[in-house]
Amino acid sequence: MSDNSVDMFTMGLAFVGDQPLVTVVGDIDLVTASSFAGVLNGLLNDGYHTIVADLAGLTFVDARGLNVLAEVATRIAGVGGTLTVHSVPAFTRRMFGITGLSELVVFGTSAARPEDRAADDQQLRVGETDTTALAGPQRALARSSTELIDAALRLVTTLADATVENADGVSVTLERHGRLMTVAASNDEVLTMDRHQYETGEGPCLDAKALGRNFYTESLAEETRWPRFVPLALDQGIHSILSSPLMTRDRPQGALNMYSSATRAFGTRQQELAALFAKQASEILTTSAPDLTDDESNQRFGASLAARQTIHQAQGVLMARRHLTADAAIRSIFHEAREVGITVLAHAIDIVASLHPDDRRS
Amino acid sequence: MGDIIDPLEKARRGLSLSVSDLWWRYFAIGGMSSELEIEAILYQALVPTDTDHDMLAVALNERFSELGGDHPVPYTDDQVS
Repeated sequence: MSDNSVDMFTMGLAFVGDQPLVTVVGDIDLVTASSFAGVLNGLLNDGYHTIVADLAGLTFVDARGLNVLAEVATRIAGVGGTLTVHSVPAFTRRMFGITGLSELVVFGTSAARPEDRAADDQQLRVGETDTTALAGPQRALARSSTELIDAALRLVTTLADATVENADGVSVTLERHGRLMTVAASNDEVLTMDRHQYETGEGPCLDAKALGRNFYTESLAEETRWPRFVPLALDQGIHSILSSPLMTRDRPQGALNMYSSATRAFGTRQQELAALFAKQASEILTTSAPDLTDDESNQRFGASLAARQTIHQAQGVLMARRHLTADAAIRSIFHEAREVGITVLAHAIDIVASLHPDDRRS
Repeated sequence: MGDIIDPLEKARRGLSLSVSDLWWRYFAIGGMSSELEIEAILYQALVPTDTDHDMLAVALNERFSELGGDHPVPYTDDQVS
């Protein structure tokens, strides 16, 4: 697993006076973000409400990583605390701005001075005025996981629109509550294009969603499929459309649509990029466990994180108590739990409880 | 090698546990690899670290226990001794 993001990810915790300083080196994605979130949640539980994170070593943060970060930042804001982030790389700043995460953190340079924040905020606004679909970033960060997923999909849409040459607009269509809807769109024109397809009941987006494969039309003027939809698209000056299916567990859930006013706009290179963005969007949907309701999904995630934290604490206790490495400590827990015939979590709870003999279980 | 089913994968199939459900169990006990990497391990496209292997073994064994069974999937240390 040499190319595993975990291998390239390290985290440090130091205290400057009473204030915890967390440093991050490497990529924050779904896997590593949970460790980052674990540390921040741990500090929060220990009563530290003012936390500083130094992101100078951050190399990448993906949409799923941003989701987890947003949850922690929301929690810190919820208890009246502040999460100050230092040395955020320029590209990451833009992603923070697009998803609305910048509304929940304080940007610091060397000291968290209020005037720095105003300057940073202004910087984040540059170049984002055209992303109309991103209005109300704070609303996008509401605690519902559906809204977090939509924020992540908007990020993918914006990045695809900015990256794919000749794309004049990008949207994501999903089936929700039994009907198709556009959950992310880079501008109003693509929103209308999507709507034309839903209303006529035909088009590349609908076919990609129904059949789970790409639909590409390189010249709408010569297109014979979709006779009701094509004239409406031509009226709007659209000549090429590429729709790629979004899949979760082999089932098509929706489509990523790219529109262009040029004919033959999307060649091999653009189609490869479209596939890449469709894959990223699909992963966001898969991670969100669409076979569960939002509540079940949140509960499962919360319970899993809580179990992880307890097991990590127990691991830390054994490392300190028996002078073991992290790996040796976790494997001791596994072996002992099996010998005693209890779950790993139950054994971890016992180990952590042994630190406080007064409130020991049973 | 490719013809022999990995013992972890064999256990997973025996339990009718989806890769996703296995990953959640693995994640809950501290696993750090992604679902895709776990799938790669099960299909022997990726060699797990000893700790990752044992975490998957624990995740599977705990499901066997819930169903009234024993701990049939060995840990890495068991195989050595």
